[in-house]
Amino acid sequence: MVDVPAPETVARKPLRIATPRTALAIVLLLVLAAVGLRLSNPQRVAWMQTYFVIFGSLLIQALPFVLLGALASALIEVFVSVGTLEKLANLPKPLQLPAAGLAGTAFPICECGSVPVARRLAQKGLMPSAAVTFMLAAPVLNPIVIASTFFAYRGRSTLWTMVLGRFGLGLLVAVVVGWVVGNHSKEELLRERPDDRTIHQVEPGCLEPKWRRFFVHMGNDFLFMGRYLLLGATVAGFVQTFLPASILSGIAGMPVFNLVVMMALAALLSLCSESDAFVAASFVQFGPSAQLAFLVLGPMIDMKLVALYVGTFRRGFVRMVVITVAATTLVGALWVEVLAG
Amino acid sequence: MSMTPLSPAADAPRAASRVEPDLRWSPTRIAGALALTAWAVLFWFLLITGRHALYLSTRTNWVVPVAAVLLTAASLGRLITARVRSPEPLSAREAWIMGLMVVPVVLVMVLPPATLGSFSAGKRSSFAGSGLATSVGDIGSGELTLVDVAAGQTSKEGEQALAKRAAEDVDFVGFVTRFPDTPADEFMLTRYVVTCCVADATVAQVRVVNVPPGKFDVNQWVEVKGQIYPLGREVIVNASDITNVPRPDRPYLTP
Repeated sequence: MVDVPAPETVARKPLRIATPRTALAIVLLLVLAAVGLRLSNPQRVAWMQTYFVIFGSLLIQALPFVLLGALASALIEVFVSVGTLEKLANLPKPLQLPAAGLAGTAFPICECGSVPVARRLAQKGLMPSAAVTFMLAAPVLNPIVIASTFFAYRGRSTLWTMVLGRFGLGLLVAVVVGWVVGNHSKEELLRERPDDRTIHQVEPGCLEPKWRRFFVHMGNDFLFMGRYLLLGATVAGFVQTFLPASILSGIAGMPVFNLVVMMALAALLSLCSESDAFVAASFVQFGPSAQLAFLVLGPMIDMKLVALYVGTFRRGFVRMVVITVAATTLVGALWVEVLAG
Repeated sequence: MSMTPLSPAADAPRAASRVEPDLRWSPTRIAGALALTAWAVLFWFLLITGRHALYLSTRTNWVVPVAAVLLTAASLGRLITARVRSPEPLSAREAWIMGLMVVPVVLVMVLPPATLGSFSAGKRSSFAGSGLATSVGDIGSGELTLVDVAAGQTSKEGEQALAKRAAEDVDFVGFVTRFPDTPADEFMLTRYVVTCCVADATVAQVRVVNVPPGKFDVNQWVEVKGQIYPLGREVIVNASDITNVPRPDRPYLTP
């Protein structure tokens, strides 16, 4: 079982409160940035143009999914009772994690949306291991992703190896990570957020009405996840701008190493799980097992996801997920290579 | 953001005098509402100006109206819920983070519209024909597109189907790319194929020969008419007419 540190009891520093002067400084800086960018137009430099286009596209595509995730998360928080989620615990133990993973087939949004949902599920009483399994499985197993994998490989002899391999290995990896998380409690796993410590009330002693709580939770989740997505997109944009695909050509024929490289590439490129199959299919120099490793690992670990995990989970979790996902994917892909050639 | 629970000690005098605190604006919730509004404005801007085509494919551009509507609802909802009886103060750190979250909005709205250009043409992998994009039948008949040509270069069957179209007239639109070893009377006509967003862009490219030297700049959008000559994995277009054209409204191809 993984060693996730217990919640720390850190003495909180007194907050420095924002004043009207702070707000004015922020607005002024934004205006100055806008004027400066417009006048200097950094896009005259080729790499900056490329960077801004990729950075913008990563955010414009991923933020709506974070928003949908925040919406689903707020619905769960406000309208789903704790008892509904605890029913999963009534299943026989060996079935709990696979059931949580298979629940991902009913959640057709990509990886950025599944993080806030998993966090909310764990907070509402779902076993944290099941929530993590769901979080990792949903972006790989959902019907849109499986359909896009089918279309990307349609007409190729490896079609079913890729479609079934992605589904099977994706589920296996998610279940293994859930098993490694084991019996850790939500307090041990989830990072505390400022809004966790407060009760939503509009009048002393009274909870806010459901519709008000819904909007508060949705906004909180979006704004919290959004900042980590921003961080991840900033880094992923640089990687995408400067990483040449040509360096891969020489590695394609090296056994095992080719799988590791494709896994690293999936993490660095930070593609959406709904489109990554088309990119994987373009790496024709790599065999099906290396492409499969790319397709299984990418939706579970990438630059923007790591940033989201850091904001959501406690120290140690990201390391555990990276090691477990990478090791299981590597072993699984090697087996696929042996079995499917 | 939420309110902090009032302590019983703080409640007691209020309860005694039966004077309830007035509703006041919560700075935390207002700051969040402003950040959400900025993002809502960006998505409406992308939708109205059509600039989403510079970032997304036709297959995923549905996220733009969805996000615009949802973000507008979220920011309005946040604003409506921003008046509370005991507002939680906004920390300076949180205020700066909210400000940082608006920076991408400024970037996209202020910078002139741009697309991926020659810089990444040599860094991205070639488009690999998928079943969704093309079939051998598509390549073998009908009007040839750059996607057909690129797809034909990545499989034996595609290559054979493409070879049968040798010397046929083609009409392609793309931008000019040159590498250090490109002769002066040639250029690579490039177009990106985007499935979801620009981050997954792959390259569709043909070599154009019979080009007037020095007439076409790198990144210039051109329309090339000529005859196609597939040579194994490379496709050459012998240009009969090359004209400068404005960048298309949809600069990326969708498979």
